[in-house]
Amino acid sequence: MPMKRRTFVKNGLLFSSALTLPSLLPGQNKTSGPLVAQVQGDSPYEIAKRAIAMIGGMDKIVSRTDVVMVKPNIGWNRTVEQAACTNPEVLRAVIELAFAAGAKKVVVMDHTCHTAEDCYERSGIAAMAKKAGAEVRYCDENRLVSHDFHGDYLGKWPVFRDFLEVDKFINVPILKHHGSAGLTIAMKNLYGILGGNRGKLHGDMGENIADLANGFSNHLVLVDAFRVLTRNGPIGGRLSDVELRKTVIATTHIMHADVAAAALFGMNPGQLEFLQAAFNRKMGEIETARIPIQSLSI
Amino acid sequence: MNAKKGKQWQRLRAASQVLFSILFFFLLLISGRIAVESLPHTGAFFYIDPLNLWVNALAGPFLRPFLLALVPLVLTLVLGRFFCGWICPFGALQQFFTWLGSRRVKKKIASHHGALRWKYILLIVLLVASLFATQWLGWLDPFSLLTRSSSVTLFPGLNFLLQHALESGANSQSLGSRIIKPLYDFSRAWLLSGTQRTFLLSFVIGAIFFGLLLLNLYRRRFFCNYLCPLGALYGWLAKYSLFRLHVNPNCTQCNACAGHCTYYGGPFTDYQKSECLVCMNCVKDCPVAAIDVRWQLPKAGQVPALAPRRRQILSAVGCGLVAAALPQIAAGKKTKGHPFIRPPGAAAEKDFLKKCIRCGACMQACPTNAIQPALLQAGLDGLWTPLLAPSCGYCEYECVRCTRVCPTHALASLALEEKKQFKIGTAVINRSTCYTYADGHNCGVCEEHCPVPEKAIRLREVELYNFRGKLKKVKQVYVVPDLCIGCGICENVCPRTDAPAIVVGAEEEQREAFY
Repeated sequence: MPMKRRTFVKNGLLFSSALTLPSLLPGQNKTSGPLVAQVQGDSPYEIAKRAIAMIGGMDKIVSRTDVVMVKPNIGWNRTVEQAACTNPEVLRAVIELAFAAGAKKVVVMDHTCHTAEDCYERSGIAAMAKKAGAEVRYCDENRLVSHDFHGDYLGKWPVFRDFLEVDKFINVPILKHHGSAGLTIAMKNLYGILGGNRGKLHGDMGENIADLANGFSNHLVLVDAFRVLTRNGPIGGRLSDVELRKTVIATTHIMHADVAAAALFGMNPGQLEFLQAAFNRKMGEIETARIPIQSLSI
Repeated sequence: MNAKKGKQWQRLRAASQVLFSILFFFLLLISGRIAVESLPHTGAFFYIDPLNLWVNALAGPFLRPFLLALVPLVLTLVLGRFFCGWICPFGALQQFFTWLGSRRVKKKIASHHGALRWKYILLIVLLVASLFATQWLGWLDPFSLLTRSSSVTLFPGLNFLLQHALESGANSQSLGSRIIKPLYDFSRAWLLSGTQRTFLLSFVIGAIFFGLLLLNLYRRRFFCNYLCPLGALYGWLAKYSLFRLHVNPNCTQCNACAGHCTYYGGPFTDYQKSECLVCMNCVKDCPVAAIDVRWQLPKAGQVPALAPRRRQILSAVGCGLVAAALPQIAAGKKTKGHPFIRPPGAAAEKDFLKKCIRCGACMQACPTNAIQPALLQAGLDGLWTPLLAPSCGYCEYECVRCTRVCPTHALASLALEEKKQFKIGTAVINRSTCYTYADGHNCGVCEEHCPVPEKAIRLREVELYNFRGKLKKVKQVYVVPDLCIGCGICENVCPRTDAPAIVVGAEEEQREAFY
């Protein structure tokens, strides 16, 4: 059921205050895991850069001569304003920082749902990535290999070799509503490395998402929440369903990125099946209070 | 005119053929790639085809670009069948295969005037049938035939070969990849389609296409001489053309001029203005410069007339009437609906069959490979008309390419906003196979992909007993028929591997309203 704007705003306030409250109370800030930086501002490019700087900078993640895979969400033939694909400006920041840190090559690639050429072009991602010097690569069915995620739900599944044959993997999802998963953020974004009959993974979706994220390592996660599709996701299309949140979240912990983003969206992370499943796998904390989140507004 | 000059003319002709062929294939190739605004230009070759002018005049409403078809008609009255010899890209292909087989083709053959008349008979059959709403001209019209064959077999076939040849090389770490990678990238950008395109029964269209090409090894320019209805039209006009070849007194009667004549005639023994493609081979072959080009008004009896005999014409008209009636008395003509859907903008079925020239340009333009040639689904007269087959691809919400490339507006040109509202059909869930009904577990892939912003497929949480007999909460999918536009992406992505549990049918299709 689509969320009413009023509930959305209420929840948003509630959970964002829940983010800040614990730090004020003594004895409540027992947090674990790497830092989660949440930066708000008017320029998606600037806030992305700042968020990465806050968690220690790209130098800590990318080494010289690394081949870096940047995996945005390019799933749909939609424009930036429709907020179904990752903001190209956020992507530009990541690519530039990766090169500045000495990356030999940066590849941008996703297994799209709509026709790849249309998605790459219309989202503005292909043009932006090329301009920033990255290689724009398309998925090629002939490059699928079987990969074992060692999960109870998701075991062996075909994955595009390109995603496995890189030194660093940077996950750059967009935060948006998703009919069957509730939300799609970084963990769900990993569906884009898979080939095969992906629809089959929608049965126990939460469990599959958790297995997928558990069986694949991300070196950096940067969640684009500049424009957020709040209803009728993951495709959307209507501008009235999109809200400006002007935020990005950076961390090296994929589950914590999703927990923080879910709270930002205005949802209780514990109510999302895939986060609950991840929590059951001991991937991380499910309460924002137990995650070291640092917020900044620029 | 001497042999040297003849050779220059011959080269010029070949250059013109190559140029127009490149232009033709270029326009066709880019029709699926370039921005929608500039797409109408890819139909240029269809607009200079008088047979399409005829189709359009019969089906209406009249489309002004078809006035261009008058240009080659008028020019033929001056230059003869120059169009076949100098411009037609399918003719150029015939010429190429004729050249390939030139070693083994007998230089002299018994009189084949009878066979040369076939095309006139065929033209009459097709024209008569078209008067009665059985529109089959596109089956043999060279542009329709070549476009259809290229879209459905030639390009996908080349795509398969190129992809396999280049891909492994481009992705390897070897030295060779330095050379192959740019080649691959170029192909990927301009030639290859992202995913291999496949077509229903493409081998039928392929067999006809390559069969017609191979027949050139048996007889020179087989299609052009014996089958082409457009060639027949131009041939009939060319009889009255100003252009003629004249044999001057230098002639030593050596008959060298017949050596490479496309219709095995030549100006000396058997000159047929209606069959001469102005290829200039004979002028080049003449050792004594005995052939001149003359421009003069044709006089009666000056040129032997090769035309179908009276009884042949009568039989052709008869055949045309039979061809016209047969498909129209099939049972399918009277049923309420039909078991298929058409691409967006399609005219009501009756009009659609009259307007469509079966060229398959829409099949080339469709980015998702959703548009497929019909075999007999749409009746005998619907052969090779475009169907939208969600099992093969889906109608992309943000795309109007097929409606822009259709030269005859069988698919009406739609603005993007119009197209988003155009109801192709309606999705129906098969509750005995859908996971969220039959198995009692979540799925929702169709809901996720539904492109309608308000969602024509929605989820509702219900409690039901799953196949283990356990009471479970399931997010069940359901269709909102009023919102569904029938794009078919739900059917395309349904994860069931036996048969999709949601299918799009013609129910409530918008075009019925035009009946």
